[in-house]
Amino acid sequence: MTILKKLLKRWETFLVLFLILEFVVFGAANPKFLRPASIMTAVVNYISVCIITLFVTMVMIGGGIDIQVASIIGLTSIIEGVLWSDAGFNIWAAVLCAVAAAALCGALSGFFVAYCGVQPMVVTLGGSFLYSGLALLVSGMSATPAYQGISGFPEKLKGNIFVDFRFLGKGELFGVPFQIIIYVVLIFFCVWLLHRTKYGERLYLIGVNKEAAEYSGINTRAVIMSTYVLAAVSAAIAGTLLTSNVNSAKYNLGSGYTLAIITAVVLGGTSNTGGKGTILGTVLASLIICIMRYGLPLCFGVSTQNLDLPVGIILVVVVLGREIAGKHMISSLFRRLKSRSA
Amino acid sequence: MNIVKKLLKARWSSSLIFLVLLFLITGLANASFLSYSNIIACFNTATMYTLLAIGIAFVIMTGEIDVSIGAVLGLSASVTGMIAQEGGSIGKMLICVLLIGAAVGLFNGIGVSFFGVPSLIFTLGTNGVLRGIIYMVTEGRTIENFGGPVAVYGNMSLFAGVSLYYLITLVLVVIAHLVTTRTRRGKYFIAVGDNAGGATLVGISVLRTKIIAYVICGVMAGIAGYVFASKYGQVMNVAGNGYEMTAIAACVLGGISLSGGLGNMVGAAIGAVIMSSISRLLVFIGLPSTYDNTITGVMLIAIVVVDALTQRRAIETARRKRLLNRTESKPEEGGIQA
Repeated sequence: MTILKKLLKRWETFLVLFLILEFVVFGAANPKFLRPASIMTAVVNYISVCIITLFVTMVMIGGGIDIQVASIIGLTSIIEGVLWSDAGFNIWAAVLCAVAAAALCGALSGFFVAYCGVQPMVVTLGGSFLYSGLALLVSGMSATPAYQGISGFPEKLKGNIFVDFRFLGKGELFGVPFQIIIYVVLIFFCVWLLHRTKYGERLYLIGVNKEAAEYSGINTRAVIMSTYVLAAVSAAIAGTLLTSNVNSAKYNLGSGYTLAIITAVVLGGTSNTGGKGTILGTVLASLIICIMRYGLPLCFGVSTQNLDLPVGIILVVVVLGREIAGKHMISSLFRRLKSRSA
Repeated sequence: MNIVKKLLKARWSSSLIFLVLLFLITGLANASFLSYSNIIACFNTATMYTLLAIGIAFVIMTGEIDVSIGAVLGLSASVTGMIAQEGGSIGKMLICVLLIGAAVGLFNGIGVSFFGVPSLIFTLGTNGVLRGIIYMVTEGRTIENFGGPVAVYGNMSLFAGVSLYYLITLVLVVIAHLVTTRTRRGKYFIAVGDNAGGATLVGISVLRTKIIAYVICGVMAGIAGYVFASKYGQVMNVAGNGYEMTAIAACVLGGISLSGGLGNMVGAAIGAVIMSSISRLLVFIGLPSTYDNTITGVMLIAIVVVDALTQRRAIETARRKRLLNRTESKPEEGGIQA
């Protein structure tokens, strides 16, 4: 009984129930929805957001926020494209360079947040301008016009099987898209890092009370900066997968993802004041959003352009509900009813 | 002398100096920039951002944030355009626009201050909902081909090249500035942002102040939406996307602290002019407009980092002075005790 009560008090339980509800409703409306292939497509369509939210969760647990990650997706993509097609790099060397550049971007913003004490929202707002601007400049170095996108990445198509670089975004292992395998691996990595290591423990402590953490001997600045680097690297991974999937390197890939990423993290129960949140919650929330974005058009004919509305409504309703429940309005109501009946 | 000193100490003076420097540097690179019409054009193009910035400045002063203003702008611009297509009067447009802004502001304010939802999260949700509503209202069409008086006023200049809308905006800036610095209720915004607990103790309603701030912010965004439709004569579904970030950046450039309780309206207005004239300045310097975002980003980061470092230094010196005073006065105290 106590276990049940404990489970009911956890946010993740609610998210799981919501996810199940989605499957039931969409499955009932259109049985085609329940095929594993279509569900995997739903996740693959939204994989960038899914991957990045894992690491933005960490930034927010440490009491920060990161709104520059979306611009790093495009920066990674265009760096890979230009290095490969115009500078003649090996594609994998280009990918490494792009990831390193992204890490540098994250380190720069992280440095200003952690060591100069500037508000994270402002720094990453500036970063989102800066890195999207840099991406545009890099695309200017290419012989290909910026709006066109650099395409024709190595694929060595054998029948219907993608190899080499395109395998990242299009390949399959045992019938599961390779992108999803990467996502699962990253989920396990994050759960380990956040819930099983000293690093994660310190991060929670910093989010709850930074000064106390500092006085207890934690190098808060280094830890905070590292979260921004991790978030930027995850954006680079997402950017690489996206480039490989659409076979086009463009400076503005993923430019509209900022709000989607924050929405998923927040829906997962992470507080933007820090110290609260789990990887499991974030994963469930991103799955809820991507399945809704896939299911509504498929089962109820909602236009794909109008998917902001349901996601927005859910966000508002959910956070309002959580605040109200957190204030014990509901529990006190129950108590009052009980005492009246008794 | 005193006035000069006071002006230099004001928080917005550094942003004004920055703006003048920007203009002078551009003038050095290309003397033809420093003509009257060019500089006036810089201000005229800042109309929408100025409206958004002084609106959101109220919210930021109270220590909250509103990322739904871009969507409010989009919605009110679409509604303005649709009324214009039916040949409706300007009064009808303005009433609709003000109602939309006030309603969204009230919704945000109640969610943030009454229910205590973190403002970034709540307004993010509102943003999504509004984007959806825009799509439903316009049925996905681009609102265009509307004529009549709205389109005429959009590019009308009153005297000496200053556009009608920028003049009205300037009046609004002055009113907002006077309200927040001279009136008792206007000072509540800064007080709440500086120290909410303290404000409550002296009898200021934090809840009401925040709701009013959000309503003002929404109304300003609504007016900005009307200006958008009137100026461009064409409203796409994505109109106003990302404007919220530019408005926030304008406030930051104008010296308004995102943690609340610091800054003023004149700063926000100057910040908006800086943000909107960058692309024009680049043209005159001879850089392609692709440098736009890069320069904006570098500038924003540089300003806030310098600001944070100088503030920290000021706090350090103040602390040191305090400690020094304490140690100097100690022997005296000892003497009295002995």
